[in-house]
Amino acid sequence: MNDAALRVMRGLSLPIVLLFAWQASGLASHNVRMPLPTHVVTAAVDLLRSGELPLAILQSLWRVFAGFAVASAIAIPLGLLMGSSRTMERNVDPLVESFRPIAAIAILPLAILWLGTGTAAAVMIVAYAAFFPIVINTVAGAKGVNPTLLRAAATMGLPRLRVIRTVVVPAALPAIGVGLRIGMGVAWTAIVAAELAVGAKAGGGGSGGIGQMMFVFYAYSIELNRIIVCMIAVGLVALALDALLRVALRVLMPWSAR
Amino acid sequence: MAAPLLVYLRTMAAFFVVWALVARLTANSVLLPSPLAVFEALFGLAKDLELFFHAGVSFARMVASLVIGSLLAIPLGIAMGLSRKLAQIVDPTIEVLRPISGIAWIPLALFIFGIGNALPLFIMTYAGFFPILLGTIAGVRGVDRRLIDAARTMGVPPRTIVARVVIPAALPSLMVALRLGVAASWTAVVAAELIGAPSGLGYAVEWYRELLATPQVMAFIAMIGVLGYLCDLGVRALSRLFTPWASDARSAP
Amino acid sequence: MNAAAKLRLSHVGKRFDGAGRAATVAVDDFTLDIAQGEFLVIVGPSGCGKTTVLNLLAGLDRPSAGSVTLDGREITAPGQARGVMFQDYALFPWQNVRGNVGFGLKHGPAGDGLTSDARARRVQDCIDLVGLNGAEDKYPHQLSGGMSQRVALARLMANEPEVLLMDEPLAALDAQTRLILQDELLRIWGQDRVRSSRRTVVFITHAIDEAVFLADRVAVMTTRPGRLKALIDVPLARPRNDATRASAEFRALSQHIWSLIRDEAYRATVT
Repeated sequence: MNDAALRVMRGLSLPIVLLFAWQASGLASHNVRMPLPTHVVTAAVDLLRSGELPLAILQSLWRVFAGFAVASAIAIPLGLLMGSSRTMERNVDPLVESFRPIAAIAILPLAILWLGTGTAAAVMIVAYAAFFPIVINTVAGAKGVNPTLLRAAATMGLPRLRVIRTVVVPAALPAIGVGLRIGMGVAWTAIVAAELAVGAKAGGGGSGGIGQMMFVFYAYSIELNRIIVCMIAVGLVALALDALLRVALRVLMPWSAR
Repeated sequence: MAAPLLVYLRTMAAFFVVWALVARLTANSVLLPSPLAVFEALFGLAKDLELFFHAGVSFARMVASLVIGSLLAIPLGIAMGLSRKLAQIVDPTIEVLRPISGIAWIPLALFIFGIGNALPLFIMTYAGFFPILLGTIAGVRGVDRRLIDAARTMGVPPRTIVARVVIPAALPSLMVALRLGVAASWTAVVAAELIGAPSGLGYAVEWYRELLATPQVMAFIAMIGVLGYLCDLGVRALSRLFTPWASDARSAP
Repeated sequence: MNAAAKLRLSHVGKRFDGAGRAATVAVDDFTLDIAQGEFLVIVGPSGCGKTTVLNLLAGLDRPSAGSVTLDGREITAPGQARGVMFQDYALFPWQNVRGNVGFGLKHGPAGDGLTSDARARRVQDCIDLVGLNGAEDKYPHQLSGGMSQRVALARLMANEPEVLLMDEPLAALDAQTRLILQDELLRIWGQDRVRSSRRTVVFITHAIDEAVFLADRVAVMTTRPGRLKALIDVPLARPRNDATRASAEFRALSQHIWSLIRDEAYRATVT
């Protein structure tokens, strides 16, 4: 049998077995509430057709993009500066390293306190979450620039800032790309968490988004099938965002070996 | 050239000064308490041990979830790293589940486990499982082929090679995977406790927020940061203990 | 053709099927007999397949054509009878010197029937033999290149293989250390002993002077696909030392071999 076909078959074997087992145990059980693969599929169709799911995803997405943009706008320049200047790094790094272990979600109560349970707080959380991977990877990328290249530029008489712009930035782009990808992943996780938490605390009302929708399905309509649809949607969007970013980066950097 | 510790203190001092000034300007102790108020809250919570109680609970959950996660992920990772066939079978399922973050499981998990200890434990184990698994697979696959060849040319039987060459050689990567697992678990702990637990640092943060007791909120947030940092330090120390030969374990933290 | 050859490669070919690319023929119709107790050196330009030949002898790889035998028996897998010394030492980083040298005794057939005391004694003997007395508790990351190579050699000797296969073991060392270790290698191998009591050695190098200094015979390979171009006897008297290196005979042999390789080497730099 052809190598590729064998691989596909092996890859499908476990999920198929699990799905069958799930469906079978669901049919055998007497729990009416128990979610089943078939029900999940119908729920997915319903949610898509009614537009609730796409809308929720879009709401979450726009917050993610806003927060991601804010984070990048701060983290990339800061990272480049820190990576290029030892003094900058030494002075700013303690702050970065002190806040890094504090997960974005831990800041959420503060964000709610300051900005209420709306979009602003969510964007703040996303920005905070995405900030760290982006800045850390940008610093690493800027530091990883071959010092000989920098010396060459200096001996050509380029001023410091110009060197950063024309040498450090292109050389650091692959690492920045890695940081952006990780940041995007973290941002998406953060928005789901933030919306879930807000939904839980704001009693189901509030700002919409997929996390909040999930909570509503848990707390109010107890629609487990719909919860699972949301979970799958979360996973698919995460993959799509990463793929999108990878394509964008490849377009931006055709010379990088990926 | 100031010593790193001095620079650290200097930066943090600057941070606190700026904070104090902004707090003075906004003059709203609910919105932004002064650093002093937060320190007072911190001492108060430490004095009646509430700080340590919640910290201990969260920490215990993290350790437990790490143990369970490692017991599941490491053997599976070693097996998948060694056997292409097994990897081909299991990998797609892993790749499908991985993007569904631990946090997305919370509503479903809430329904299955309810509010209590099991929920954060499940979420944290799930969150830590994937980095540990993937890191283990990479570590096993990345073992220098020459080491395995060397053992083969000494006539060492295959099973002994796995136990005495592959696993020791993969240990440094395993330690890195563990660090990532700790970070992932610790992030998940807060989210899980915030929503679905009656104790722990995440719960405490939310509890005090509802009381609008911002100094306490910040105190607990600071504790989350400190403990997260200490856990990472702990794993790095373990790395140096178990794999003293590994290059990144030898360099300064 | 020596009917009692210790190792025999008979019309051996090896091709590697690239993923999507065309296949590479590393070795083609390679025939060579290696006698018991002989120190045979294989030289050739980079990429000519020398390492592939060694891997085939070691049993780390199987030939696509032809046969590789030890004492007339086909070689199908690596084993304790054919010990290997690798270019990058392949020392186990989590074991100290003693642990590395004793590894094959502890976990492989070489230690069968030995008490742990006997094993410890042999380990110590081998460490002394290579001149690393005092470094037993050091770890690989604490060793210099020269020391690491001695450990690799000690580990090889401890398993008492019938055949020693060495893949450019001195390539990673600086020129001075190389010369010292060449002398050491010959001493440890026992160059002043009778041939029948010496172990068979197959040694790969791309340094011609090294080849002539060490070898009883030199096999010259062509560039890829590797074939046997010539087999040169090296009748220089043993024991060999610095005087040997200065002798006219030595230089003549080196020149001769270089003239054989030169074209191949040139071709290797442009393909």
